[in-house]
Amino acid sequence: MRPSAAALVLIGVAVAALVAHRLWAVGVVALVLLVVCLRAGRRAKPYLWGTLFSAGLVFLLSPLLQSTGYHVLWSGPDLPVLGRLDVTTEELRIAGVNALRLAAVGLAFAAYALLLDHDRLVAAATARRSVLAAALATRLVPTLERDARGLVEALRGRGLAPEGLRGHAALLSPLLAGSLERGLNLAEAMEARGFGRPGRTRVPAPSWQLRDYGGVALSITAIAVAALWL
Amino acid sequence: MALASVESLTYSYPGAPAALQEVSLCIEEGEVVLLLGGSGSGKSTLLRALAGLVPWFHGGRFEGRVEVVGRDTRRARPAELAGAVASVFQDPEDQIVLGRVEAEVAFGLENVGTPPGEIAGRARDALDAVGAAHLAERRVVELSGGELQRVCLASALALEPRLLLLDEPTSQLDHDGAEAFLGHALGNGASVVLSEQRPATALRRADRVVFLERGRILLDAPRDDAVEWLDEHRPAWTRQQNNNSLQEGRETVCRVDRVSFAYGGGPRVLDGASLELRRGEIVALTGPNGCGKTTLAKLAAGLLEPQEGSVERDARPAFLLQDPGRYLVRERVDDEVALGGARADALRVLATVGLAGFEGRHPRDLSSGERERLALATVLVAEPDLLVLDEPTRGIDPERKLELATLLRAQAGPRATLVVTHDRSFAAAVADREVSLAAVPEVALA
Repeated sequence: MRPSAAALVLIGVAVAALVAHRLWAVGVVALVLLVVCLRAGRRAKPYLWGTLFSAGLVFLLSPLLQSTGYHVLWSGPDLPVLGRLDVTTEELRIAGVNALRLAAVGLAFAAYALLLDHDRLVAAATARRSVLAAALATRLVPTLERDARGLVEALRGRGLAPEGLRGHAALLSPLLAGSLERGLNLAEAMEARGFGRPGRTRVPAPSWQLRDYGGVALSITAIAVAALWL
Repeated sequence: MALASVESLTYSYPGAPAALQEVSLCIEEGEVVLLLGGSGSGKSTLLRALAGLVPWFHGGRFEGRVEVVGRDTRRARPAELAGAVASVFQDPEDQIVLGRVEAEVAFGLENVGTPPGEIAGRARDALDAVGAAHLAERRVVELSGGELQRVCLASALALEPRLLLLDEPTSQLDHDGAEAFLGHALGNGASVVLSEQRPATALRRADRVVFLERGRILLDAPRDDAVEWLDEHRPAWTRQQNNNSLQEGRETVCRVDRVSFAYGGGPRVLDGASLELRRGEIVALTGPNGCGKTTLAKLAAGLLEPQEGSVERDARPAFLLQDPGRYLVRERVDDEVALGGARADALRVLATVGLAGFEGRHPRDLSSGERERLALATVLVAEPDLLVLDEPTRGIDPERKLELATLLRAQAGPRATLVVTHDRSFAAAVADREVSLAAVPEVALA
C-alpha cells in the first residue's frame, strides 16, 4: 500500500474510534492498531508506553472529575471546587471509552510514525511544506529518546547517574535546549540546500493501485459504520 | 573573473564581537582552497558567508561585499544560491532532512528545480561517485557517522555545484575514510573551499591555503609557500610529535579479557577483544570507523556490560563521550563542572583546560572547541583513576590538540588513561602505546 493511502487509512481508523460509542467497538479498533504497531518490534516501546500512560491516566482521573450516573461504586470526600469525589458504573464506562479512544488515536499515530515511509509521503503530498514539517516532527520522539539516553550516559560517565523522578526531570531542560539547537542547525542546512525556493520539482511518485483505493474506501466505510451503528 | 570574491568583509553575530574582520579573498574556477585556523578563528563563519547563510540566516552586522557566481549575497538568499553552491557541514546528523538515503540525496535536486526525470539518476550517480550506491535504500538512522558524511557529500555533489563548501567534513572519519572522502570531494572539477583541523591529507590536495586567526586572514598563499610558512610560524599544523616513553611496571587499573558485545541482538561489534590499562600510562585505541573502539572503551569504563568475557576494574572511572553537547545540563559553565566535584576544584580544572574567565557563561554559548574543553573539565573534576576519552579532538585545532596532549600527559601519573581516536598525530603525541582494533566485517557503527 502507498504511504499516502496508508496514512489516510490510519486517519480513518482513528476517526472511527473517536466517533464510535460502544466500549467493545472502540476496544476492537485499539486492539487492531496495537497488533499493527507491534510489527515495529522494539522501536514501538516508547510509543506504547506513552499511549498506555496517557490512556491509563484518563481512565483513572476522569471518573473522579465527572458527575454522571446513579450506580455508585465508591463515595469519597467532598472537595472544594471539584465537589464530591465518587465513582459510578456509568462514569467507569465513559472513562473506559475515552481511554480506549485516546489509545486508538495514540496507536494510529504510532503506526504512522513507525511503519510508514515518510519520505514517500512527503514526495506524494500536495502541501509538501506542511507534510515535511509533520514528518520532521515525527522524528522528534526517537531523537529525544536517543538524546535522553546520551545525557544519562554522559552523567553516568561522570559518576552522576540521575536517580528518581526528580533526577530525570532535571534532564528535561537540557533535552529541550539540545532539541532547539538541532532544529536551528537543520533549518540552516535546509536553507543552504534550497528549501523554500520557488520552482521546485519532485521525483515522480508511483500512482495508486486498486488496494490503495480499497483501503481508503474501507476506512471511510468504517467511519460511517462507527458513527451510525457503533 | 573569480567564481567567488570576498571584499573587506567584517561580520559580527548578534550581540557578539566581530567573527570576521576585513577579510578579502578570491576563489577561482576549479581551485581548492584550504582554510586553516584555530577554534573560533572564523573559518565556519567565512564558509557561511560564501553560502549566503551569513547574514541571511544568522542576522548580525555585515559590512563589505561577498559575491558568489556573480551574485551579491546581500541580495540573493542562500536558497537562491543553492545548486551553484553546495555545503557540507561538520555534523552530518544535523543536516539530514529525510529518512531514506536516496530521498535525502534527491531533496536538494528537487528544491533547485531539477527536471523530475533526471532526479533519480543524478541521485544514484552522486551516491555512486562517493562509493555509497549500496546505501541508496537504507534508512539514515541505520548509518554510521562515516556513511552519513558520504551521504551528505553525495547530496552536495548531486547538485553539480560550481562552488563546494566543506566545513570540517572528515571530523568523524578515520584516516582512510578521510582520504577517500577528500578524494571524492576534490576530484569533480568544482571549486572547493574546505576547512580542516586535521590538515595533513587536505594540505596535499589543496592549491592554496588561507590561515585565519581571530577573524583576520594571516596568510593567503599557494600550498608550498603555505607549508613553509606553517612550518616556521605554526609548526603544530604540519609536524607530528612523539616524545612519549612507555611507563613500565605500574599496577593494572583495568583488565578487559576476551569480551564480546552486540547491540540489541544485532551482529557482534566486538568478538574476543582484550585490553589492559595500567596506572600512569596513556593508551591510544585506534582502528577504522565501526570496528568497536567506542564499545570497548565503554566496556572498560563500565558503561556497558560484556556479554562474554570479563572486565576487572579496580578504579573509579570517568568517560568522555564523543558529543560534548551531552555534557551541557546546567545554566553556567562553573555549575556544570561543579556538578561532579567541589566548586574550588571546578574553578581549578576550568583554568587547567583554558576556560578561566568563562565561569559565568552559558555552556551552550560556547564554540564547539570550547564545549569539548568544558566536557573534558566535567570528567577531570572527579579525579578518576581511569579516564576514558572518546574522540576528544573533534573540532579542536592542532595547537589545542598539542595543549590537550600536554595536559593529559601532565595528569597521567595517578591514573590510567584510554584515548579512543582516529587522529594519528594526536595518538602519537599523547600515547605511551597504541592498541589497534581490526574492523569486524559488515558491522554498522553502533
